Amino acid sequence: MKIKVLSAAVVAAVVAWSGAVFAASAPNDPYPKAAAALYEKAKQEGAVIAYTVWDVEHIVAILDAFSKRYPGIKTSYWQGRNPEIVQRTVTEFQAGKESVDIILSDNAPPVIRAAGAIQPYETVQKDFLVLHDPTMPIVSLQIQALVYNTKKLKPGDLPKNWEDVANPKYKGNVALDDPMRAGPLSSQLAGLKELWKNDAKFAAYVKGLKALNVPVNKSTSAMFRLVVSGEYAICQPALLHDAMEERDEKHSPVEIVKTAPPVVFPRYGGIYAKAPHPNAAKLLAEWLITPEGQATLDKVGREASRKGFQSKTSIEHAYPKGTKPIPVNDKGFMEDPKKWLDTNVKPLWEG
Amino acid sequence: MLAGSLIVTPVIIVIVRSFTTARLGAAVGFSLDNYMRVLHDPKILPMLQNSIVYAGGSALFGTLVGAMLAWIVARTNTPGKTLVELMPLYPILMPPVMKNIAWVLLLSPKSGILNNMLQQAFGIDHPVFNAFSMPAMIWVFGLTCVTLGYLFLLPVFLSFDPSLEESAYIAGSRPMRTLLRITFPLAIPAFLSALVLNFLRGLRSFETPVLQGSPGGIDVFVSKVYDSMSIDYNPGLATAYSAVLIVLSVAALILYVRTTRFSERYATITGKGYRVKVVDIGWWKYAAFVAVFVYFLIGIAIPFVVLIITSLIPYYDYETFMKFPTNVDLASYHRVMHHPSFVSGLYNSLALSIVIAVVTVFAGIVMAFTIYRTKVYGSKVFEFIGTIPLAFPPLVLSLGLIIAVIDSPFYNTLWALGAGLFIAYFPYALRNASGAIVNIHRELDEAAWVHGARWRHVFFRVTLPLLKPSIAGALFYIFIEALRNIDVAVLLVAPGMEYGPVTLFEYFRVGQWAEAAAGGVIYLVILIVTVTIAKFVFNVKFSL
Repeated sequence: MKIKVLSAAVVAAVVAWSGAVFAASAPNDPYPKAAAALYEKAKQEGAVIAYTVWDVEHIVAILDAFSKRYPGIKTSYWQGRNPEIVQRTVTEFQAGKESVDIILSDNAPPVIRAAGAIQPYETVQKDFLVLHDPTMPIVSLQIQALVYNTKKLKPGDLPKNWEDVANPKYKGNVALDDPMRAGPLSSQLAGLKELWKNDAKFAAYVKGLKALNVPVNKSTSAMFRLVVSGEYAICQPALLHDAMEERDEKHSPVEIVKTAPPVVFPRYGGIYAKAPHPNAAKLLAEWLITPEGQATLDKVGREASRKGFQSKTSIEHAYPKGTKPIPVNDKGFMEDPKKWLDTNVKPLWEG
Repeated sequence: MLAGSLIVTPVIIVIVRSFTTARLGAAVGFSLDNYMRVLHDPKILPMLQNSIVYAGGSALFGTLVGAMLAWIVARTNTPGKTLVELMPLYPILMPPVMKNIAWVLLLSPKSGILNNMLQQAFGIDHPVFNAFSMPAMIWVFGLTCVTLGYLFLLPVFLSFDPSLEESAYIAGSRPMRTLLRITFPLAIPAFLSALVLNFLRGLRSFETPVLQGSPGGIDVFVSKVYDSMSIDYNPGLATAYSAVLIVLSVAALILYVRTTRFSERYATITGKGYRVKVVDIGWWKYAAFVAVFVYFLIGIAIPFVVLIITSLIPYYDYETFMKFPTNVDLASYHRVMHHPSFVSGLYNSLALSIVIAVVTVFAGIVMAFTIYRTKVYGSKVFEFIGTIPLAFPPLVLSLGLIIAVIDSPFYNTLWALGAGLFIAYFPYALRNASGAIVNIHRELDEAAWVHGARWRHVFFRVTLPLLKPSIAGALFYIFIEALRNIDVAVLLVAPGMEYGPVTLFEYFRVGQWAEAAAGGVIYLVILIVTVTIAKFVFNVKFSL
């Protein structure tokens, strides 16, 4: 009996130790110290409430893993789309409600921040991140890929890069996202404009897409489905995790164009300005950036934001070595996409 | 009055905020900026034109088909009575977005099942069907409009005084002429009720325009409203755009009120005793059976089969679809069944939907009774108030409700969610009850008044029992709709509260069509089994 108890204690200790190592593996990692301090306070707070755009299955798995790592913190969530998250959070903020702790989403947190409803928090793990924002931890990435249907296009006929999609030879074969909505194509345009710093090149690209004279789609997911089904040959653009899941798990006839660099957009863990449990929220955001948190995100199919993290949806895995992603960093676009698009895209698209 | 206040409060909030707030709800004092932006938007007119063609075409097509089905079921000697009664009910159970997905898979120009079959069978190399066209949009949304036409018209035909038709026969009128000149005109109030509702639903419907309109380059007005919320983050601007829908709603309501202003003309339920007469339509009865069966095939069987196969194959393209059943894959079902809140969410939404259906239908009848059977000053305005929620996008309206209750104990409770669903479905309950009450002759009320009855006696002893058929249809419709509501519910669900449709139908929203189809199939099977058991085991009569 004693041996059993002893061996159980040893196993538990090893598991706890290895978990801690897994949670913070780098030697100069500031996470363990920061997490210990946050956890003490978070335990006092006793709960964390997340608003998220992520699928229910994903957020449940993520919060369960967090609860296992940090017992004593009750987790709950509310799930909605970005406009719903923005409206709910901003309305609650304006009414002075202490309703939520952390906003886990892509487009919504910068807009909420612009309304003053985010309290700035800089992650202690900033050096490990692919993209960094000093006011909101970037816990995951949205990675856009140029995707094609392998039954519809031969490798020799592929576009070489994003600009190539505007080639008239692809007319009728491109499923094009609406560049005037807050969707992936508009964020790609924001990224490319910043990267190129060349207005003429940017204008030629937008006008080239317009000249394809194809109807634009208002649903990224429906557009991707039409490419999988063979209605269109090229998806401009698709999300990398969708493409990987379709290709590797469902064996759909889709593949990414590896010569077109991925466009990366941050997925934030923004701390709500009136968070009732701010330390638990910060702890959750920090934990999501650790290798353990990133592994949990990866397990549900979400892309990692930590440099060098290897997974099926990481840039290193999906693209050739040395591929440089195109980051979307334009604060003006992120906080007021409508204004940015009206200034930079509308005159070219509708002019 | 209570129902009116509940509806008016969020409506007033969103209207006032459209004059006083800008992006992200920032206070700006009194301003007409939102409305000026709408007035100066050059895209409004072409988009509005598309909306009117789409909503009007769908409403007319769907309501007419629904009316024909109701007449066949209620008044004809079509064989297979039980089957004929059930067949129009099943398509109601299929959520509109599932119909959209199924018809996109069937009618897509290059990858669609029908076009590919035609190409293989007859060598037709150009697409015959196009899912991304206005006729296809009208076809698919029109099919979802059949429900209201059927449920609103069925009680009218089931409570029809046959002496009106007999007079026509005695005067030498043939059955078809009697149908067109006597039967259908008397059903005008209920028909217009369904038509107006379907038209307003079409004006603000979003799934069909997104899934079928935008890939075909067809932009409708409601996308402006949604863009205001999703890219401008400006509910005030969304409300300003909704004002255009309010104007159209008022116009449609004025048309309805003017057409039915001499309501006694349309009364088919009078004080005379009678039995509803079944019309012998001769050999046409077989054609009628075929018509109902064809609707059953088109309305649910074919799209349902497409969805079942889609849910059982790894992904959809025509080649993979045709390989079924050699490539069966149950992964989608496994995923849906293991969804963290599938069972608990479904239970919550079932319970809430039953309550909402009962409360909303009862409130709708009370309001319709007040409008058409009492002399309460200004009661006609309730006709407008009761329909106005249809002019607003659900997200805007539920935001108004949130603002109304945010400082009260109701916030983040089932009460707020219930109130949201009540407001969303009250127009259906009201229009249903209005159409039915107009068909009850005032002489029945007057007889009660003469004998000293008070209003409550008239309401509970006379009107309510005569409305039974309409009540059954409205309860059924609102229950089914509330059970799958996402748009209104999503903002009002509290953190930690599991609500079925929000979780089950998220697959539709994130574009996982195989999982969406699997979830939809499970959901449909539950409902079909429930309806069938209710019909055969408990002998529940959905039609009367």
